[in-house]
Amino acid sequence: MAFMLLIVASLIALGLFVRATVSKAFTDAERIRLARTHVAMMLAQQLDEETGVRGYAVLRLPLMLEPYYGGRASLPLYMRRVRADLTDLDVPKALPELRDAASTNYRWVHEVAFQIVRSHRRRPALELRGKLYVDRFRADTDAIDLALAARTVAVNARAQQAVLWVGSFAVAAVVLVIVAALLFTVQQYRLGVRLERERAASEEQRRRAAAARAAYETEKRIADVLQDAFGERLLPSLPAVSFSATYVPATEQTKIGGDWYDALQLSEDRVLVAIGDVTGHGIDAVVAMNKARQLLISYALLDATPAGVLERVNFDLVRGKSPLITAICGVIDTRTREFVYACAGHPPPVLVEPHSHAKLLDFGSLPLGVAVKPGYRTSRVQLAAGAMLVLYTDGLIEYSRDLAQGEAALLEAAEAAAETPTPDPAAQIRDRIFRDRKVTDDVAILTVRFSENSVGASLSRRIA
Amino acid sequence: MNEAEPVKVIRLTGELEIGRKNEIRSTLRAPADGTPVLLDLAGVTYADSIALTELLRFCAEAQQVGQPVALVIQTPQFARLIQYAGLATVFKVFAEPAEALAYLTESPRQ
Repeated sequence: MAFMLLIVASLIALGLFVRATVSKAFTDAERIRLARTHVAMMLAQQLDEETGVRGYAVLRLPLMLEPYYGGRASLPLYMRRVRADLTDLDVPKALPELRDAASTNYRWVHEVAFQIVRSHRRRPALELRGKLYVDRFRADTDAIDLALAARTVAVNARAQQAVLWVGSFAVAAVVLVIVAALLFTVQQYRLGVRLERERAASEEQRRRAAAARAAYETEKRIADVLQDAFGERLLPSLPAVSFSATYVPATEQTKIGGDWYDALQLSEDRVLVAIGDVTGHGIDAVVAMNKARQLLISYALLDATPAGVLERVNFDLVRGKSPLITAICGVIDTRTREFVYACAGHPPPVLVEPHSHAKLLDFGSLPLGVAVKPGYRTSRVQLAAGAMLVLYTDGLIEYSRDLAQGEAALLEAAEAAAETPTPDPAAQIRDRIFRDRKVTDDVAILTVRFSENSVGASLSRRIA
Repeated sequence: MNEAEPVKVIRLTGELEIGRKNEIRSTLRAPADGTPVLLDLAGVTYADSIALTELLRFCAEAQQVGQPVALVIQTPQFARLIQYAGLATVFKVFAEPAEALAYLTESPRQ
């Protein structure tokens, strides 16, 4: 931009200079023409003077002297003009000739004209001298005229030069302006292209961010809906056993996890209790969870042993490239108080029996979806009246990375819950453990409590 | 160690978490020729479910192709996790690398 301004300023300055030069050249040429006229007039006066004197010398008529007097009257005026012209037009080298012309005229007047006018006869010698003076005068005026003509040539040359300059500058200016305009245009174009590209890029970025956010929102909403739909768990209501359950979503992530539990009456005396946990979060986890859950219930209804149920579920999941899932499949006989279960990589069930400490039941097999032949086995536990089982997911004991500490806290909380006649031991365990801890992973808890006289209740119901 | 029966040692240490998934995945690469693998997890103190999944899948695949695998586990926290996951029911788990090495080199190949 500064470059452009500089070019324009210098062009304007050069233009003004050239204009002044050309203008002066034309003025000078005009003045020289005028000066040359003055010189010619100067010579004409001298010639008039001579003509008058020569005529008078021949005819001796006073009338003939009229041009002589006219010339003498006008000559000084023209000589003064010529002097001024020479000074103004800066042609000092012609001033000597002008002075010589003046003195020549003076001498002609005094030495020749006066003598001839005064005498009464022809004076051939004098006339010859007069002619010589006049020739000398003519030579002087010729020299002055020549100097002025030379000056004209110089002025013309300068004017031509200036005009040439004007042309050159005009061409150069046009070229410069065109080049500058082209450069400017190209630069503007590039700038425009870059701006457009940047704008498009930022637009794209914003669009992607918005899309990602929308996708996240959508997934979260879908997952929440699914979780709510699947999470509506109806627990059996039986006289011999009471169930309680709770689900705690992790505080720091989207609600959805892959934890689930089920308590489902299979027959009059048999109740399926299941709990599971899918690795990961989001829709994929919910879908995998739901699939495993339905499979587990379906195979449990086929009356297989818990280990058999898990084997079948595992078989389907391995084929379906499912994420890793841990689960416990258990069946409670409400009449005999027998608990049969199988565990697939899941934390062990907790058993609290009256008048004894809470303990972890047997556990330890591969999770579902890992190996083709995981080798699950069914465990059998005979429960005492008033016993309470606690099934849970790992979020309940893995809040810190010390499992032993987590297990100890759980056993203590389970004992405390078993000792109080609360209708909701699951919530009590949850509250006790997360009283001063943050929930870092989803947690599901399912409790099964036998009434103190569960056998009697069950039998009496059957009789009735 | 017998030259004819080399053992591939794969070692992981520290807390295995989702952030190290790629590292765990690239480390857990079984030799293609069926060489026995000693999975040295003595320095592992914790593994989240993602890392555990990688370990389990590695072991399960090795088992499927009949590649002998022995695990070395020492920290009690990680041992408990492994116990939950039932790894010991299917794979050989040792407390000392020497025992695992002895198992891999001395047991007859199947």
